Amino acid sequence: MIKVHLKIKRFNPEKDKKPWWGEYDVEVEPTDRVLDAIHEVKWNIDGTLALRRSCAHGVCGSDAMRINGRNRLACHRLIRDEIQNGQITIEPLLGLRVIKDLIVDMEPFFAHYRSIMPYLVNDTDPGPRERLQSPEDRARFDDTTKCILCAACTTSCPSFWARGEYVGPAAIVQAHRFIFDSRDQGAAERLEVLGDSNGVWRCRTVFNCTEACPRGIEVTKAIGEVKQAIATGKVR
Amino acid sequence: MQNLKVIAQGARYRGGNPMWSWLLHRVTGVGMVLFVVAHITASFLTQRFGSGAGMAINAVYESPAFQLVMYFCVIYHALNGLRVIILDIRPSLMRFQRETLWLQWLTFVPIYALAVLLILLRAASGE
Repeated sequence: MIKVHLKIKRFNPEKDKKPWWGEYDVEVEPTDRVLDAIHEVKWNIDGTLALRRSCAHGVCGSDAMRINGRNRLACHRLIRDEIQNGQITIEPLLGLRVIKDLIVDMEPFFAHYRSIMPYLVNDTDPGPRERLQSPEDRARFDDTTKCILCAACTTSCPSFWARGEYVGPAAIVQAHRFIFDSRDQGAAERLEVLGDSNGVWRCRTVFNCTEACPRGIEVTKAIGEVKQAIATGKVR
Repeated sequence: MQNLKVIAQGARYRGGNPMWSWLLHRVTGVGMVLFVVAHITASFLTQRFGSGAGMAINAVYESPAFQLVMYFCVIYHALNGLRVIILDIRPSLMRFQRETLWLQWLTFVPIYALAVLLILLRAASGE
């Protein structure tokens, strides 16, 4: 067991005028996850600490937060990889309103997600079987199927910090997943949404999104491919 | 104001080298705009009013120190812009984005070193 000093940014808008740092010492294994250390605080030291988490195994994407200044999933990072001089600093995601402590208002994020029609658009009759697709066609959008909508990419993006109306990397990744799907017929509508002033052209190729993605999706590359699809009109 | 907000947020987020290169791109861009504004203002004041203020601004941006900063801004901004344009045109190269940053600095250093040498030689000769 090792001792870890956790510095967590706290804010309760019903009580606090401005955010403050909560400092807690916990004992955990180096191979525990950052989430385990936060649980230790929540369950044994200060039950008022608020955070989101669900599966706690890197699948649901609920516990994205800034760990030592970078967007990470708390259930995805080990103590031994994040500890710096015995300390780990934890803050809520940037660019979204803080509801309490580590919980941010995800509604603007999901509104952008819904705006790009994140579902298969195809009105033709598939016949008695499912719509078939070659392995090559499936591979075209494989990388962007991995997104878990944790918002780590969108809230690491300077363009999103500057302008919350920007659809953001996660919505573009989700659009990419359908635009380049050979079974889908809604590419033109999605590209119209993404081609407007709050669409892909707000991306400044900063690569924060790619660095932040816990699933290792090449987010900036996907955005680049959507930019090209808009510029050339070609999606296949 | 938005730029300031983003730079403040960026300073709090540890995005690493790609983010610093983007921040520097912004700062050097603002530096060039300030230079052009100063240049136009100086020309206007000098030619329209024969003003001493115009000559004073001229003296600032013709100084070696200002030129060293300006050349840094122009060369960095141009090379980084070119790097981003190439990546945008060929997204398949984006997986090598860290290598492209190194390549950019490898290109920048000799070009800027030459500029520094010429500026300092000129300053030393008293021209």
